[in-house]
Amino acid sequence: MSDFSPLEQMTVVLARDLKDRELGAAGAAALVPMAAIALARELHAPNLSIGGEMFFNPYPSRLYPSMLDDRALGRCEGSETFIELFGHSHHGLDFFFHSGLQHDRFGNINLHFVGGTLDAPKMRGPGAANLSYCHTSTRYYICPTVHNVRNFVGKVDFVTIPGHLDGPQSKRAAGLTKEGPRFVITPRAVMDFDPDTLEMRLKSVHCGNSVQDVLDHTGFALNVPEGVGTTPPPSKAELDALRNKIDPTGELRH
Amino acid sequence: MQRDPKLVELDEAMALAVPALRERPDLCLGGLFKQSRPVALVRAALAAGAKGLNLYSSPGAGYDVDLMIAADAVAAVFIPGVTLENRLCPNFRAAVESQRITAHALDALSVVGGLMASANGVPFQPIAALKASDVLKHNPLISEFECPITGDTLHAARALRPRVTFLHAQEADRWGNIRHLSTMVYADQLMARASDMVIVSVDRIVEDDVVLDDPRRVTIPSHYVDAVVHIPYGAHPTASFPLYAMDEEHIDAYADLGDAARKGDPAGLSEYLSKHVTGAPDQQTYIDEIGGAKRMQVLEQEAAEL
Repeated sequence: MSDFSPLEQMTVVLARDLKDRELGAAGAAALVPMAAIALARELHAPNLSIGGEMFFNPYPSRLYPSMLDDRALGRCEGSETFIELFGHSHHGLDFFFHSGLQHDRFGNINLHFVGGTLDAPKMRGPGAANLSYCHTSTRYYICPTVHNVRNFVGKVDFVTIPGHLDGPQSKRAAGLTKEGPRFVITPRAVMDFDPDTLEMRLKSVHCGNSVQDVLDHTGFALNVPEGVGTTPPPSKAELDALRNKIDPTGELRH
Repeated sequence: MQRDPKLVELDEAMALAVPALRERPDLCLGGLFKQSRPVALVRAALAAGAKGLNLYSSPGAGYDVDLMIAADAVAAVFIPGVTLENRLCPNFRAAVESQRITAHALDALSVVGGLMASANGVPFQPIAALKASDVLKHNPLISEFECPITGDTLHAARALRPRVTFLHAQEADRWGNIRHLSTMVYADQLMARASDMVIVSVDRIVEDDVVLDDPRRVTIPSHYVDAVVHIPYGAHPTASFPLYAMDEEHIDAYADLGDAARKGDPAGLSEYLSKHVTGAPDQQTYIDEIGGAKRMQVLEQEAAEL
């Protein structure tokens, strides 16, 4: 067994892709994204700004399961309201994060219902607040903290958050001009999207998982390009910063 | 002549709100998820028999909306995200799945834009950032239109005018000037400007000089406020930062009762409602029953340590 948790692995993969001087926010299920942003700021992106969700550059003393309240964010450099959020949603950010009840092979996300219809659902989900950052921001990341055949499906029952829709043609037709979902990062693996078809494909598998494990826990035939390797594990510097400065209470290890 | 204070007792506030909601049942709730929700006002409205409500809020809500659904007071929910964050809202879910209430598919900008239009006194707010989501096929708050400037197809969010808005803040003076001491103020200021009637609960009342010495700290001037009610711990079990944190244990225990009811065992949820909602005559009794001063100290301590 590896000496780091799946959520810590997810955090470092996300952090490595965030650049200095970017602006971004963590989204609703924010534990891993907020840890990733904080880690990037700590290690290689000191000028990265957190903004777009009613606060700028928060200094949480620890991580919380929910990261969208004064407990986590009350100590920050500035606060805004939903009026400013309306503007940020139009201007877009550099990066954002999403996860849902279902994710499909084109990176579309469903948070509304599974089975039945919107009016008569078999299972009603929470819905989602911000449906704009996914296509006004330069890119976003899909980072659910579970990966199984129920939440990775061939086609979502409802597109709450558009990913690449049905591929390049439909994406163009809908006026989605930004990158959309770049990576899908789960506790098992990293996926990206084939640049020609925009279909999800396996990029790397985290330590302790096999390609077959990932395929067995994905509800559609995931493309596996040649040469899929192991996700680079957290370095000592990454783990030290994460555990000593960002996540002293070990929320990512529970 | 003397100026009329807006500070009233809870039953006086309900005598304003409940008949207004009978006239037009559009109720808007302040705060966000587990922060600064006007829960004591919600409980009082339920106890006073509010029914058939259309619920609005800032774009994210949870416990209080679920509680109103459990008490059978809701017809439709116009809130984009309804969740307890760490788990789904049990009564919301059960009521939608059994088609007892309508949960509209919405997004944050339609709700915020609709409140902005209402606050600014214009019929709609243009939105240029909605694309490709299935929500757009169902969202009743928006219409497509051609922009007269660019020719692009945009969305118009129609002005939303809640009949009554309930808010919770930390402080007010007797005239109804409201001071949020929390870092985030959500959409509370916008709702206050967008609504026909605004009722605010506050944890404490301050002297007039406190307001006059620091007017920029006033988040909602009394002009927008119809009544303010002094209700210590009025947001419990949600948080009122920086005074007290959310009572996660209480909300979790409530959600367990809701989930049991969803699976066919409503006894615990019924008992919760009759004890804490319809049966608690005043805030002190409510606080005593949910753990008293000892529990409140824990939540105050948690907020103070941040």
